[in-house]
Amino acid sequence: MATVELKGVSKRFGAVEVIHSVDLSIREGEFLVLVGPSGCGKSTLLRMISGLETISSGDLFIGGKRVNDVPARDRGISMVFQSYALYPHMTSAQNMSFALKLAGKSPDEQAERIKPAAGVLGLGDYLDRFPRELSGGQRQRVAMGRAIVREPEVFLFDEPLSNLDAKLRVRMRAELKELHQKLKTTTVYVTHDQIEAMTLADRIVVLRDGVIEQVGAPLELYDNPANRFVGSFLGSPAMNFFELSIPDGTPDRARFADGDSLQLPRELGGRSSVTVGVRPESLELVSEAGDGTISAEVAVIEPTGSETELFLRKGKDQIIASFRDRIDVRPGEIVHLEANPAKYHLFDTTTELAI
Amino acid sequence: MIEHSRTGPVLRHAVLIGFALIVLFPFVWIVMASFKTQIALLMGQWRFAPTLFSYDSVINGKTSDFVTNFKNSSIIAIASTTIVLSVATLAAFSLYRLQWADWVLRVLLAWSVIFHMVPPITLAGAWYTMFRSVGLDNTYAGIILAHTTINLPMALWMMGVFIRDVPKELVEAAQIDGARTPKVLRYVVIPIVRPGLAATGILCFIFSWNEFPVALTLSQRATATVPLGIGKYAQENTIAYTEMAAASTLSIIPAFILLIVAQRFIVRGLTSGAVK
Ligand SMILES: Nc1ncnc2c1ncn2[C@@H]1O[C@H](COP(=O)(O)OP(=O)(O)O)[C@@H](O)[C@H]1O
Ligand SMILES: [Mg+2]
Repeated sequence: MATVELKGVSKRFGAVEVIHSVDLSIREGEFLVLVGPSGCGKSTLLRMISGLETISSGDLFIGGKRVNDVPARDRGISMVFQSYALYPHMTSAQNMSFALKLAGKSPDEQAERIKPAAGVLGLGDYLDRFPRELSGGQRQRVAMGRAIVREPEVFLFDEPLSNLDAKLRVRMRAELKELHQKLKTTTVYVTHDQIEAMTLADRIVVLRDGVIEQVGAPLELYDNPANRFVGSFLGSPAMNFFELSIPDGTPDRARFADGDSLQLPRELGGRSSVTVGVRPESLELVSEAGDGTISAEVAVIEPTGSETELFLRKGKDQIIASFRDRIDVRPGEIVHLEANPAKYHLFDTTTELAI
Repeated sequence: MIEHSRTGPVLRHAVLIGFALIVLFPFVWIVMASFKTQIALLMGQWRFAPTLFSYDSVINGKTSDFVTNFKNSSIIAIASTTIVLSVATLAAFSLYRLQWADWVLRVLLAWSVIFHMVPPITLAGAWYTMFRSVGLDNTYAGIILAHTTINLPMALWMMGVFIRDVPKELVEAAQIDGARTPKVLRYVVIPIVRPGLAATGILCFIFSWNEFPVALTLSQRATATVPLGIGKYAQENTIAYTEMAAASTLSIIPAFILLIVAQRFIVRGLTSGAVK
């Protein structure tokens, strides 16, 4: 277990800078998730921590020691790759004990050391099988077993679940979390899937174009996104955004183009516009138009069983609302929505920062 | 339509059998010739009483060097193939996995392909002069070096293809597991490219075994190889056809054994299950 600290870490490939001066402190035993859209630099950042990629500028500390120039093998890290990267010519047991073999441990000690990991991961029956003889989930477990056996200071995961089907992904997610609760090893986990981020993380780091947008506990980010991007990235279905005008003389009201208007939670003096973000589950159906209601036309109804999602149109805006209860509406119908102003997220329309 | 689908396979097989016969006929003719007497051969008999006379003469004959030729060829082919495989594997790994500048890769590969296109005979004269001045003429080392040089470009290209097939993540996983480059090669890369090594090795071995002009230039009686030994039967006033056939038949055996042994390694899909 160790802390990981990044100070002004940047990465350039040739002339292109893909990570821009990242500062980040990862606590001992923490499960930190790096999340962001594809191509934002998550893997690159993780690979710099692992030592597989050099650091162009800035400093990296693991356990308080500067490791910029320490090779991957001496950083005390284990990595689980998206593709698993199992050695195809070795059995599960040999895959897991390879690091021990390289470290000169005796065959007996190797067998002894992989036992607990194999037990935790339920791999007992598969130890003599080759990767090609294993299912996706089993390969995933062997890859995790290989990482555990080394007893690293830090676990690094690069989208380890994205090659699994949806059901297995949910199960492995829970297993991963349980594993971390048991081992309490510092973990950096990369994913583009915000649900994985929300469910696994002690803290989430939202990355966009090589820049950290926000760091915080999952619900903290969910409830108080620092900007429109974080608001839209976390949560499914995604947050609705309305770009509204604030008429002169009423700094506590925001108007839609069609005349509907919302009561803002506080006065926004000196602004002529605001972007209001409302999560789909914050919207409620009301039977009649009134003060602070939003009227919209139902486009599509998607019942998922536990929830019902409504896709609505309001002028050129699309609105998504989700409801716990079954609702009785038809496509084409005009309905009225309302949300508690306390649940509004307010953003500057130009800078997109929370206000 | 029905007729078409019936004649299709028949035609295909007829063509294949035809080709097989064209390829096999000279081979069969040579093997048969090796068991004939010179008279039976010259009379073109198809039915004959087989004799081992030619084999006896090739192997035990007082004037025959064939056993020595065989030994020489074995030493030269095995040594040059071993060197070529080692150098080509290390070079291919370095070129494709150790982050060289792009131009280094391109220049080296272009240079090697140009070198490969030069007929070996054009180099033989230069080698002869060079080797003589350093005392490498008429030595195993000289011919081994020459065969290594000739085979290296093709081996480099072939091993390059196989090495690029080894997923990068496997090398990275091994590095994280604590392996430096020599151990990455020994425990991960080489076991995975073993089929490629076998295929490349066979081609290099067979080339070295069969190579004639360079060996002719660089060797004398003591270091002469099998093709030179076979050629010698045609150098007298009369051509010793049956001995030549017997020597040729014997000379095929090592490559044949090698192919059967290597078959075991050349299995497909060895990396399946590594990634994804
Ligand atoms: N070896 C490389 N050479 C050049 N550019 C790279 C290299 N690796 C990644 N990149 C670029 O860096 C950016 C971030 O990539 P990556 O870290 O893989 O993103 P993510 O994992 O978030 O999808 C991308 O624009 C990608 O094209
Ligand atoms: Mg990635």
